[in-house]
Amino acid sequence: MKRARETLWLVVAVPSLAIVVWLFFLPFIRSAVTSFQTKDGAWTFQNYVTAYRLYAGDVLYTIFVSAVSLTAVLIIGILVSGFARIYGGGVVEFLFKIPLFVPFVVVGHAMRVFLAPHGLLNSALAQIGLVNLDNPPSIAFSWVGISVALAWKNMALAILLILGAFESVGDTFLEAARNFGAGWFRQVKDVLLPMSLTSIAVAAVLIFTSMLASFSIPMMIGSGKGAQMLMIDVYYRIVYQYDYGVANALGVVSYITAMGAAVYYLRSVTKG
Amino acid sequence: MNRVKIARIVLVVVISFIIFGPLSSLVIWSVAEKWYWPHLLPQQVGLFYWGKVFQGRMMQALQVGVLIACVVTALSLLMTVPLGYVLARFRVPFKAVVLLIFLLPQAFPQLPVFANATVYLYRANLGGKVPGVILIHMVGALVYAVWTMTAVFKSIPASLEEAAINLGASRIRTFWNISLPLATPGIIASALLIFLYSLDEFTGTLLVGSPFVLTLPVFMYNASQGYELPVASITALLLMIPGIILLLVLERYLKAEYLSSFGRI
Repeated sequence: MKRARETLWLVVAVPSLAIVVWLFFLPFIRSAVTSFQTKDGAWTFQNYVTAYRLYAGDVLYTIFVSAVSLTAVLIIGILVSGFARIYGGGVVEFLFKIPLFVPFVVVGHAMRVFLAPHGLLNSALAQIGLVNLDNPPSIAFSWVGISVALAWKNMALAILLILGAFESVGDTFLEAARNFGAGWFRQVKDVLLPMSLTSIAVAAVLIFTSMLASFSIPMMIGSGKGAQMLMIDVYYRIVYQYDYGVANALGVVSYITAMGAAVYYLRSVTKG
Repeated sequence: MNRVKIARIVLVVVISFIIFGPLSSLVIWSVAEKWYWPHLLPQQVGLFYWGKVFQGRMMQALQVGVLIACVVTALSLLMTVPLGYVLARFRVPFKAVVLLIFLLPQAFPQLPVFANATVYLYRANLGGKVPGVILIHMVGALVYAVWTMTAVFKSIPASLEEAAINLGASRIRTFWNISLPLATPGIIASALLIFLYSLDEFTGTLLVGSPFVLTLPVFMYNASQGYELPVASITALLLMIPGIILLLVLERYLKAEYLSSFGRI
């Protein structure tokens, strides 16, 4: 019986395991190893020196853009989830699920035409005199555009996770707070938020790593000039210069940045 | 309570603007035959580009993309339904290691890894070909499917299976007649999400397939970079349709546990 079970385990696990090991685990190791090699295979730190010289600013830029979007997502997510938890979600909850089902590339393109210098937003604002179209602000092709697009796409996930955490806080706590005269903001700030801090931290980690690693949105909306998101640098380094050494060094930097977040995530998932 | 009603209306209006603003510009661009600033709306509106898009390479990209998504969904289900069952029910050796391997792709940036996976695929003579794109889609799809399938089977009470076994049914018969029918709604929900993931996948397709295998997201990217904005916007709208249908039809069945990892891949 035990024999049969182990054979079954082997048969069902090996095919999918083989694919994930071959096309994720091994490439992951390969990228770490080749980041310490020259094109001829000799060991070197040169890739990291080059990466630091050329891309140190882009690493900071990526962290900055992700942090700004994450802050926006968390503030709006907590406020909206708090409102939905106390007064019921309804339409609000449904509306916020839409971005989850809009593909990343579509978000990038939609934001590009919406926020472009002569895009819909500026044209609409010009109608009420807020924007001068002869010298329109270019939101789409700056860091603001990427931040807005990332925040828009991740808002749905944030509300899904935060509202889930808020739902598990018992009604009695909220009633108690109301009996002491707490308004909805105090109920969110003093009851819901402290009681779901762990779940919110996990959500924040998930969203932050996905923003760091975002590729298609900056590809669609980015300008190709000035500072770039990290993944764009990796892609261009490989496609235009065929330089896997420096690209992989940048990859390793992105793994390490995501690692702190990942460890936290793994621990909470394996616990729960 | 009246203040709550007003707050809700204000909230819905603001949120609708935030959600539909960017999406509405896609609709306007898709019918814009002539549109120069400073006009708020296009000067000339028509379906010229819709006709053009449906005759050109878009249809080919659509067919290839749907084919890939169907294969990816079928293969993922075939592999992960039994695997999820075993993971949910039995104590097996190296379970923790296997689960860890299926967690890694969720935790680390995809692009640098996929760029190196592309090297392996080209070495295996699969680069730039449909099977190679299917394989790279399988990575994300499998990771997602393993976790949801395990959750689906865990949510079925083991006592129902034990009852069947006590009445003399074999393990295999129990799986077919008891576990699988109970798991069907969960399996369908995750199958649809896998299909959607594969249809929308951009990073892996661009790295492995380009320039030979073209799916809708890559086609849209090319059109957008070439400033064919009406064409790109029509493709974007087409790409949104399956997701919106899924949202409308399945809204109440899509539990947070299926969606939370879906939002990231």
